[in-house]
Amino acid sequence: MFKKFAILIGFVLLFISGTSLIHADNTVPVTLFYGEGCPHCAKEKLFLKDLLQKYPEIKYQEYEIYYSQNNSSLLQKLAKSMKTNSGGVPFLVVGSKSFIGFAEGVTSREIETQVQYCMNNPCIDPVAALLAASPSPTPRSTPTPSSDAPLSIQVPLLGELDITKLSLPVLTITLAFLDGFNPCAMWTLLFLISLLLGMQDRRRMWILGSSFIITSALVYFLFLSAWLNLFLFLGVVTWVRWIIALVALGSGTYYLYDYCRNQSGCSVMGDEKRQAVFNKLKEITQKKQFFLALGGIILLAIAVNLVELVCSAGLPAVYTQVLSLSNLASWQYYLYLALYILVFMLDDLFIFFTAMLTLKAVGIESKYSRLSHLIGGILMVIIGTLLLFKPSWLMFG
Amino acid sequence: MKVLKFGAVWCNGCLVMRPRWAEIEKEIPNLVTEYHDFDQEPDLVTKYHLDSGVMPVAIFLDKNNQEITRLSGEVSKEDILEIIHTHQNS
Repeated sequence: MFKKFAILIGFVLLFISGTSLIHADNTVPVTLFYGEGCPHCAKEKLFLKDLLQKYPEIKYQEYEIYYSQNNSSLLQKLAKSMKTNSGGVPFLVVGSKSFIGFAEGVTSREIETQVQYCMNNPCIDPVAALLAASPSPTPRSTPTPSSDAPLSIQVPLLGELDITKLSLPVLTITLAFLDGFNPCAMWTLLFLISLLLGMQDRRRMWILGSSFIITSALVYFLFLSAWLNLFLFLGVVTWVRWIIALVALGSGTYYLYDYCRNQSGCSVMGDEKRQAVFNKLKEITQKKQFFLALGGIILLAIAVNLVELVCSAGLPAVYTQVLSLSNLASWQYYLYLALYILVFMLDDLFIFFTAMLTLKAVGIESKYSRLSHLIGGILMVIIGTLLLFKPSWLMFG
Repeated sequence: MKVLKFGAVWCNGCLVMRPRWAEIEKEIPNLVTEYHDFDQEPDLVTKYHLDSGVMPVAIFLDKNNQEITRLSGEVSKEDILEIIHTHQNS
């Protein structure tokens, strides 16, 4: 009886070790699915490199999914078998647990806890189980650094463009400049300037005008930060990237259409809204108590800018998506947003300072806005195309 | 000839056209021009069908106050002068 039982146990143990379903030999199966160029994946790989040194028990494998259909299919099957979502990378499997996305200090702690658990307890290896049932794609067994994929591309009118030289600061300045020529928020400033110029008190004129501009900049900064944090939170989710790519292609096409249409001047639509804002501005600037006027201007600047955000949502969304793809420190993200805002406000600052110093309202010729539409339109089409087909080329840092 | 200039304080293009018109008025002192604010004079806006389209608009009238032609948006000084010289005896 004992002999038969021992044989049975022997067969069971042989079966288990043969199929690698459960690791009871102190090795910890860790499998990473990543995308080449994805910044969150790169951060997770750096963390895993350290983790491998700290825990030699880890049996590591990684699969690239952007450029390998087999690896991508494996991830789909794996996610299905683990009853989880495979919408984005990095996707890490440690035993029966999966970790989607990577946040230093949060996900890293959870991963390490799970590794320690698997060192002391038997853990299943769902990837090995799946590979046993189907032909296996080739994994890599050490975290590899991202490759330097960017090359050069042929752009109509501009010729050959080296994408690696299209650095993030240049992209920031170009898109912000294009966004700054958006007429949506400009008309309110011009309204305000026309009222300020009629004032006797120069000090009051400067403070009210500056408050409007600073508040507008802060509202836009918050708006950009919200977009950025949304994209950083979502990580590199394929469908989000596709939507933003379509927004970029749509906006780019519109800007190029606008360039070809060559229409100068101001559209006279939206009379009622304009009249309401004008009356409100008039009422606020004529208030006798200075602080009431100041508070009124700040509140109106917030309200007007929030309403007009809809008008220019496309460019900030595309820019912050590209920014979120870049592997930067938190403070660097916000520094880029500050640079964007500064360039975005340049035309407003020019108009305001010129009016305040010369006591004459001035405009900016439409030829500059038209040129920005041409350059910006081409750039947006390039960004949209890259977001669809080569997102890694847009990953700076 | 008389020119009716329509503009608005919120319109960037109108501000661009101001110095151009000032130069023309200085060069041709006998040219009669009138400035009308789009928001302040709704009757004239309706009369000259300016409720849609783009600002600024310059409407050129003959001596019988009949419209000869009009220019919309930002236009060059040369284009304006060409119209004035072509119709100066109207």
